[in-house]
Amino acid sequence: MTGKLLAVKGIKFLFGLAIVITSLFPLAWMAVAGFKGKSEVLRSPFQFFPDMWDWTNYRQILADPAFVRTLWVTFAGAVVFTLLSLFINSMAAYAFARLDFFWKPLWWVVALMPMFVPGMAILITSFVVVSKLGMLNTIAVLIIPGLASSGQMFFLRQFYLNTPIAVEEAALIDGASRWQIFTKIFLPQSKAPFVVMGFGSFLAYWNAYVWPLLTVGDNPNLLQMQVYLAGFRSERGDDWGLLMAGGTIAALPTIVLVLIFQRYITTGVRIAGMK
Amino acid sequence: MTSTTQTTAPAGAGIAPAPAGAARLSKRQLRKMHSTPKHLRSNLTAFLMIAPLLILLAIFVIWPLVYAFYLSGYETYYNRPAEFVGLDFYKFVLTDPLFWSALWVGLKYSLLVVPTILVLSLLLASFIKTLSGKMAAILKTTVYVPAVVSVVLTGLVFVFMYQDSGVVNAFVGMFGIEPVAWLNNDSTVLAAISVPGIWLGFGISTLIMLAALLDIPESYYEAASLEGANWFQRTWYITIPMLKNVFLYLLVTGFTLAMQEYLIPLIMTNGGPVNATTTTNLFIFNQFRDTSAFAFTYSITAALILFVVLGLLSLLIFKAIKSDKAVDG
Repeated sequence: MTGKLLAVKGIKFLFGLAIVITSLFPLAWMAVAGFKGKSEVLRSPFQFFPDMWDWTNYRQILADPAFVRTLWVTFAGAVVFTLLSLFINSMAAYAFARLDFFWKPLWWVVALMPMFVPGMAILITSFVVVSKLGMLNTIAVLIIPGLASSGQMFFLRQFYLNTPIAVEEAALIDGASRWQIFTKIFLPQSKAPFVVMGFGSFLAYWNAYVWPLLTVGDNPNLLQMQVYLAGFRSERGDDWGLLMAGGTIAALPTIVLVLIFQRYITTGVRIAGMK
Repeated sequence: MTSTTQTTAPAGAGIAPAPAGAARLSKRQLRKMHSTPKHLRSNLTAFLMIAPLLILLAIFVIWPLVYAFYLSGYETYYNRPAEFVGLDFYKFVLTDPLFWSALWVGLKYSLLVVPTILVLSLLLASFIKTLSGKMAAILKTTVYVPAVVSVVLTGLVFVFMYQDSGVVNAFVGMFGIEPVAWLNNDSTVLAAISVPGIWLGFGISTLIMLAALLDIPESYYEAASLEGANWFQRTWYITIPMLKNVFLYLLVTGFTLAMQEYLIPLIMTNGGPVNATTTTNLFIFNQFRDTSAFAFTYSITAALILFVVLGLLSLLIFKAIKSDKAVDG
């Protein structure tokens, strides 16, 4: 009996290991390739680990001023973008969940409809709009157009709808304003949905490629991480070790965030899927 | 309708019995009684709170969409005013063999990616469900990690892996297969770019599938086991029927997303070799990068056609799911 149990455990372990390898192999391969010299990175026969761990690529990419500036500019932009979008979307979510106002159903449809509009359908005309607004090649064009998110607002509204109403009524009777209720009662208990939504915003900004390529492509000071990575090969040829080192560093922020907030995020996916 | 007779008193409103004088209330006062009491309405606060969201959406989503529909009816020129041409551009797009071949490429890509993700995520979710808390938590995070890597980076890493002396060829070499030029070969390129698509998407599907699996009452399985049903019978007769809605949800969302994929081929193959990986949106995107005025309107129109078709399809399927749910209720 124990033998059989042990066998089941062993099979489960192997199967789990296979899942881990499938999920992480491309990332591990990327990170390891960063430690290989030019002669070794595509060497045949295949060898997973380098003969000698060589930090040259990582040192070289971190000494490249364009890469470092891109890293910081993108990171700072992503942080600002995340905070602003949390603010705008949570405010609207609270109003739609709890307040009563003129023509609410109409505003609700207007606020929700954009969720169903795919990016490509409006990519071209959005570009026309931001160029007419004089936003091209400024930081504003990276941050402002994507701030309002119907999906995130909807997600948070569902959360607020499920928040008990009693505390709020008591506060109203005590003379608190709606704004005070939002900032003093609702925001402090929104940690879990804020982590999920904030992570989504950060990810959207950090991983954006086509929009920054089109709108700030002519401003090297605003070069974004994905544009840098995608343009790497045409700028410097197939220096795979260096590119993989840069890619590893570029992937780190999002992966670290997942690991820190894993509990919130994996349940957040579940809630988003079940809506 | 006048308010002078007793019968129009707000008797059916479900509030406390109307006081004697209620019959003489004016229509306006009556409406006031039924709507939200004034002290609970908060027009100003509410509008201030939703304004940023609504204004941003109006400028950067709704207006561009309206504008796109408007532009699709006009032929634009650089040297003279635009000319209204009605549905001409819709006709140009729909009779263009290149558009249809791009649609076909997108469909083939989706057929490679979506069913694979569905089967894979059902397998993984069923497996993770059997694990203890800690192992399950580790695997849940692990399968989600690929989903946070950017498409650009994933594309680059897979291009690196598909190099002639790269790791994929080293792997197939272990089975005695000669190195393949995965991305330069008509017969392999679509499958080759679908692998990063699957890798990016299977984690989220697995987590959603797992949540659905955990929602199936354990008692169903216990009853089936008592009746002597084996694992395959339990899966076939309980798990799969119970997961039908989640399957449909993942199928529809996965399919609409996969049909719109263009970043992976843009990064990995730029649509080649010879348009073998030019998906619909990549075709549209390339038209946009073309600088002629004709291509500009053409690409807008093509994007709108894809949007309307995919939107209607998912709407129909979701309607079907919803009505089905009501029956199961």
